[in-house]
Amino acid sequence: MSDIFAFRGSEDAGYAQPAPIADAEAAKERIPASLRRAERAAWPTASEPELVRHYTWLSQRNFGIDTGFYPLGSCTMKHNPRVNERIVQLAGMNDVHPLAPAHHLQGLMAIFHEMQEMLGHCAGMDAVTLQPVAGAQGEFTAIRCIQEYHRSIDQSHRDKVIVPDSAHGTNPASAAMCGYSIIEIPSGEDGRLDLDALRAVVGDDTAAMMITNPSTLGVFEPDIAEAAQIVHDAGGQMYYDGANFNAIIGRTNPGLMGFDAVHYNLHKTFSQPHGGGGPGSGPIGVKSHLAEFLPSPIVGRRPSEEGEIGAGDGWWYTWEAPENSIGKVHQWHGNAGAVVRSWAFYRRYGRDLKTMSEHAVLNANYLRYRIMNPSPEVREKIHAMPAEGCPADVVKHEFTLSMTPLVDAIGVNGKDVAKRLLDYGYMSPTLYFPMIVPECLMIEPTETESKEALDKFADDFHAVLSEDAEILTTAPHTTDVKRVDEVWAARNLILRYPKE
Amino acid sequence: MSMVDQLPNLGRESEMLAAMGLTSMDDLFSDIPEAVRRNSPLDLPPPQTEEEIWRDAQRLLSANVPVNSRPSFIGAGLYANHVPSMVPMMATRGEFLTSYTPYQPEVSQGMLQAMWEFQTMISELVGLPVANVSMYDASTAAAEALTTAVRVLNRKVEQKDTVYVSDLVPEHRFSVIQNYTQGGGIEVKRLPHTEEGCLDMEAVKEAAGSCAVYVEQPNAFGIADEGIASLKEILGDTTALIIGVNVVSLGLMEAPGHYGADIVVGEGQPFGIGPTGGGPVYGIFACKLDFIRQMPGRIVGLSHDTDGQRAFTLTLSTREQHIRRHRATSNICSNETLIALMGAMHMALLGPSGLEILSTRNAAAAMLTEKKLLEIDGVEAAHPRASHFNEFVIRLPGSAEELCQHLDRRGISPGLPIEALFPEMESNLLLVSCTDQTSDGDVTALVAGVSGWAEEVSA
Repeated sequence: MSDIFAFRGSEDAGYAQPAPIADAEAAKERIPASLRRAERAAWPTASEPELVRHYTWLSQRNFGIDTGFYPLGSCTMKHNPRVNERIVQLAGMNDVHPLAPAHHLQGLMAIFHEMQEMLGHCAGMDAVTLQPVAGAQGEFTAIRCIQEYHRSIDQSHRDKVIVPDSAHGTNPASAAMCGYSIIEIPSGEDGRLDLDALRAVVGDDTAAMMITNPSTLGVFEPDIAEAAQIVHDAGGQMYYDGANFNAIIGRTNPGLMGFDAVHYNLHKTFSQPHGGGGPGSGPIGVKSHLAEFLPSPIVGRRPSEEGEIGAGDGWWYTWEAPENSIGKVHQWHGNAGAVVRSWAFYRRYGRDLKTMSEHAVLNANYLRYRIMNPSPEVREKIHAMPAEGCPADVVKHEFTLSMTPLVDAIGVNGKDVAKRLLDYGYMSPTLYFPMIVPECLMIEPTETESKEALDKFADDFHAVLSEDAEILTTAPHTTDVKRVDEVWAARNLILRYPKE
Repeated sequence: MSMVDQLPNLGRESEMLAAMGLTSMDDLFSDIPEAVRRNSPLDLPPPQTEEEIWRDAQRLLSANVPVNSRPSFIGAGLYANHVPSMVPMMATRGEFLTSYTPYQPEVSQGMLQAMWEFQTMISELVGLPVANVSMYDASTAAAEALTTAVRVLNRKVEQKDTVYVSDLVPEHRFSVIQNYTQGGGIEVKRLPHTEEGCLDMEAVKEAAGSCAVYVEQPNAFGIADEGIASLKEILGDTTALIIGVNVVSLGLMEAPGHYGADIVVGEGQPFGIGPTGGGPVYGIFACKLDFIRQMPGRIVGLSHDTDGQRAFTLTLSTREQHIRRHRATSNICSNETLIALMGAMHMALLGPSGLEILSTRNAAAAMLTEKKLLEIDGVEAAHPRASHFNEFVIRLPGSAEELCQHLDRRGISPGLPIEALFPEMESNLLLVSCTDQTSDGDVTALVAGVSGWAEEVSA
């Protein structure tokens, strides 16, 4: 066990620094006596050799995509190309200040402009902002734009946002933060959008509907265009949650489906690394009627003039403020580094982003087929086959399985299966989401897994389904720690290293 | 034409389709109704190789001007500090870099422990008992601190749904606060400041009885405002005092938790990462225990496993959107964990003494720069009686924007015109920011440049 606060270097241990460029005592006295720090922060007193080992040890107790297959549904855990990391370490990225004059930022702005254009094109949207720094913030930003749009056309009485019961929790949370009441509509029996349920709730108070397509069940909503028509007829706007955008690029787009606004998860579709929970990046795209409300600034350009070298591409880039902008949602220009990584990822594919999406769907369908069709010998050993979360001939980038048959057969639940998969060297699938599928496991392999990796996972999944209940309910057995007592943590709330 | 090299199953499509009894990729998309299908190819260029992307990236990004490539005094909340080499090298280890939110604690102890340590270091830094795993940036941290305070205190106060924000919070942060508070029907009133750039302590009395007050220490003029230390006494128990900090200043300046702050927020960036075009950076958020059940963001708690060994896990999740949905305390899901990890590594390496030295270097650089600039004829201190940490405002004999352009052509970035932060303020005010990277030579170059320009302007 490595414990950072147990290191006991001398009080003055720490990173050696050059001397101050002026008298230190006089500098300290610049701070009025009443505001001077009385007691130092009890930070670790450790040297670089100790800390490098500490963080190496911690990293070895952490599972990433680099460690193994990470079939975490709805999270699109694809490979993160390493050149992207090398690029953001360049001084022209890492040491660039967002408030520097625009002629100091022409390269970054060129990349921003290219990303605005590409994202708009792929989603069928007219204008894009890169400022939101997470998917949830993209949702919030787009709903704010819709809110201002409605205010501008004297429709501010519209105070309801409709979400399906299978929606990501961020959808209702984001709309609620903008001040809307939420109407949750039930899915149909097949897990798909229920148009009658939608018709029953739309009206003069409808501000927007938020929906992802393919749905969180991994299934394309066949009635999406009709749903858009129903909402538009009632005067509402259609919002596309881009969490599942990896499934459809080049095959369809939210513009074709009738959406007015969309967010992109650059940390899903465009491989910004998830980093243990972030940073993300959640740009939004909108149709032209919403463009004037986008956060400020966005990047525009004009042909460069004599002497304007800039990015060397014949253009001069400018910051532009949309006419009736909602203002800002991040105090700088969003997660510029994530945008640059995603730009490098996009360049790796270009128009073959379509091939990327096709392979994401190919892998999901292949894995689903392999899991649901074991050989007769294997089938014989399995206690109970999972049930499909949604009956469909084909799925898109992910699929859902219900472990209810296993609960009925041997009393083993979805969580037990998920925990046992950890012993086999896999990250667990997304557990118990969407909530409309009982005992749900949600599996998304992404396009960067080989056929062999998928075959092996299917075989191991079958092996898990064949094991004794005792092994499963006490899993995991081989991980760094065994099942963690989450209830104790919530009751005792030890949220920092105890003070001495 | 080059092929994409990121798809292991490229060329094996037929084999995999055949195993499923399908014949073409189109079969996998047969569920998309004809009416919404895209039938034309994407109007995008062909794929590039890594080599080509690396070449283009170098060329494009070298068109930017890195702040460390010249004497630069641009700051205003984002600083070009030195980040130890260990930090990016350790944080980009694949096990950290490519992991998701640690929902499976059994295989995520590394990141969970690192974040628990981060929480401890932030808690120590600001003098409050609990910190979360990060917010997007200082502005959303401030905004969500205000909405948190309203949720906790609204029932107890006279001025319902009302908060006060210093009018020295610049537009780019205030705009975020407005966007985050308008939906809850929260009225945001402004607190005026004096000629000397400090909070007007008489006007502050009006804020007693509201849900919260948000002020920054040091403020946007770099001023260490003594009045803020006695603010809590004026506001009383039921009005939350929210302080936005420059984290580096806390090596010399008192932790706000020790003078009554209920919530402390700020830009964590100087610990862990360069200014990086403005993001990804991370906001810090720490608070008193009374606020934890309403605070936004993820929190790691200590626990144990079934064998009784020490283990960490995410906790208090019932506040969050994936459980509470529209009743969640915030919509935040992805945060800035990896950058917070870089911050933790940087803080751990600095140690208590290293922090004090870093803070002193910042203050010393500002002291020297200010002294030398004020020796120039025509240059005056905008707030001569105020105390400053690493930034200060000077009044110039001409337009600050013109000075910036003039010196830019000579390879110097003298700072930011105050007008860029506060559009209604005078055009001859310049905000000069120093860091640990400010050298003697930088100061000499700046002073020579400003004095040359001042002579020209005055002539």
